[in-house]
This record gives sequence, structure tokens and C-alpha cells, in this order.
Amino acid sequence: MSANLEKSFIQQLRDNQNIIHKICKLYTSDADSHKDLFQEITIQLWKAFPKFRGEAKFSTWAYRVALNTAITLYRKSTRSIQTTSSEKLNFFISQEEYNTEEEEQLKLMYKAVYKLNDIEKALVFMHLEDKDYTEIATTLGISEVNARVKMNRIKGKLKKILNP
Amino acid sequence: MEELDLLKKDWKKSENSFEQLSEKDIYKMIHQKSSSVVKWILIISLIELSIGILLNVLSLESDFFNKIDAKGYTIYIEVLTIVNYAVILFFVYKFFKNYKTISSTDSTKKLMDDIISTRKTVQYYIWYNLIMIAISAFLGSYVALSITEETKDIALDSSFRFIFYLTCILVVGILVFLFWLFYILLYGRLLKKLFNNYNELKKIDL
Repeated sequence: MSANLEKSFIQQLRDNQNIIHKICKLYTSDADSHKDLFQEITIQLWKAFPKFRGEAKFSTWAYRVALNTAITLYRKSTRSIQTTSSEKLNFFISQEEYNTEEEEQLKLMYKAVYKLNDIEKALVFMHLEDKDYTEIATTLGISEVNARVKMNRIKGKLKKILNP
Repeated sequence: MEELDLLKKDWKKSENSFEQLSEKDIYKMIHQKSSSVVKWILIISLIELSIGILLNVLSLESDFFNKIDAKGYTIYIEVLTIVNYAVILFFVYKFFKNYKTISSTDSTKKLMDDIISTRKTVQYYIWYNLIMIAISAFLGSYVALSITEETKDIALDSSFRFIFYLTCILVVGILVFLFWLFYILLYGRLLKKLFNNYNELKKIDL
């Protein structure tokens, strides 16, 4: 692969790296796994880059490859643990000022999202990213109607986790 | 759901909380080796394919078939060999064709379908080999028992035949069991997550 291609890829990835960071945040629960998954996604993106012709935005394309890697290709390393400590939750919540009640609610919400399975997380992720159902459906390879139904079910599931 | 809106608000703000990687970091990353499921499937499949081919070559080179050649079975053996190689070539071709179609840019479901179908090709290949081993074992022993001068006498002994075929069945049975165990352990671990997510996705689209 030519040096130009590599350069262009690295620049675009640097500018769009938060997409990958956000997916790692949702799918891993410690710094090491975050790094592992980030690296695997980067490798997959690079491998697929020659096929990326720029019909879509780099970011749209990156969403799909990153999600597919997290859901399908990535093998969780044995050292990653599935617990979500409150410390980690604190780390997740942005440094903004919240009142205590809101902060408490946020923590519970993050905790609830972590209890979802990989596919449900993908739907929540795209919802948080303001993706419409057409894009959610094409990314996952399901019908739009079913994506909508599933999202409603997830909301119900989250509510149940929050108020058992 | 207002909690989800609150989460969305926080999610947007957290955008700036990640430690940013430099171009140098990314450069280093893309020169690392992938450790994805597909990579492992490729490695394991190549080992399986070569073991199958090795088995075939070894069995065809063996002295046993040379002995039978002299008895006028040459044409059958040759046809069987050609068919066998053609089938194996077909499997190898199919495997690489499937492997090439695996692409992380497809939809999640399509990607999973492609991985599973690549896996299945190798599985069928293994089953083909096991069945061929079983058939050759039975045919070979039958031919050996019926035609050679040295075995003519004991071949007529029905209790000997019984024990002989029983041993054949046992050996093939153990072989099948070992392969089965191998699959459960290896692919069970490797593909557990993939299958779970695949079933989850299928459930949504029911």
C-alpha cells in the first residue's frame, strides 16, 4: 500500500478517533481492554481502507467497521473483567458539574447500559450518536421496523434494571 | 425515557474526555498484527486443510494399495483418488473464496454469515475426510480379507470377521469422538461470543 494512502488514513483516523474511543468505552471495562479493542479496530479499518472509496463519510464508514469489530471479530482478552466498579463509573461521567441527584441517576444509567448484551449496546450506542433507524438497520443488517421495535424493548429493559 | 436523554447529554460532553492518540501512535498500531476471530479461523483452517491433504497423500502412498494394485483393482483406486483430490481442491477453493468475502465493512449480520459459512466449509471438509477414512477402512479391510492368499483362511472365520469389523467401527468411532471434542473445545471457546451475538441478532429479525 502506498505511503500516500497510509498518510491519508492516519490523518483521518486521528481526526475521527473519538468514534473508536466511544465504542471502546461501551464494550470494554478497563484501560487495557480499551487499548486492545482500539488497536484491533484500527487494524480492521486499515485493512478495509483500500476498499473505502469515499462514497460515504469516513466517520460513517468507521462506525460500521468499529462496531463490527467490537461485536464480531474482537476476542476479549482473559485479563478483562466484567465488573463495573463505581470508580470506573466516575471516570465515565464527564467532568461537567451535575447536581448530586442527576449524577446518581447517570451512574445508575451507565451501570444499566453495561448490563445489556453486545447487540443491545450497539443500538444504544447509535441512539446516543443520533443515528436514525435507517442507518441503525443497515449497519446491523436487520429491518428498520425491527430495529425500532428492539430499541423500544431496550428502553423497557433499561427501565426495569433501573427500577427493579 | 428521560434517563436516556440525560445519558445522551453526558455522552456528548464526554467526547472531549478521551486521551488523544498522535499520528505516530496510530502508525504503530496499523503495523501490529491483528488478533481477530477471523485470523484465528484462518490459521486453524489452514492446519486442518493441510492435515487432510497429508492424510490423503500418506494413505495413497502406502504399501497396502500397491499390493491391491496387483490384484486388478487399479482402475477403482485411480478413480477414487482423482475424485478425492477433486473434492479436496473444491473445498480448498471454496474456503479461500469464502475467506476473501469476509469484510468488516459489511453489515454485522452479513459479516457473521460470512464467517460462519467459512467455518462450515472447513467443517464439511473434516466430515468428508472422516467419512472417507471410514469408507476406506471398511473397503480396505474387506478387500484385504477376501482376496489375499495369506488371509483367505482366517477371513472365512466368522468370529474373526466380527472382531475385525468391530475394531474398525471402534477406531472410526474414537476418531469421530476426538474430532468432535476438538471442535467443542476449540471453536466453542473461539466462537462463543460470535454465536451468541448472531442468535441475538436473528431473534430481533424474527
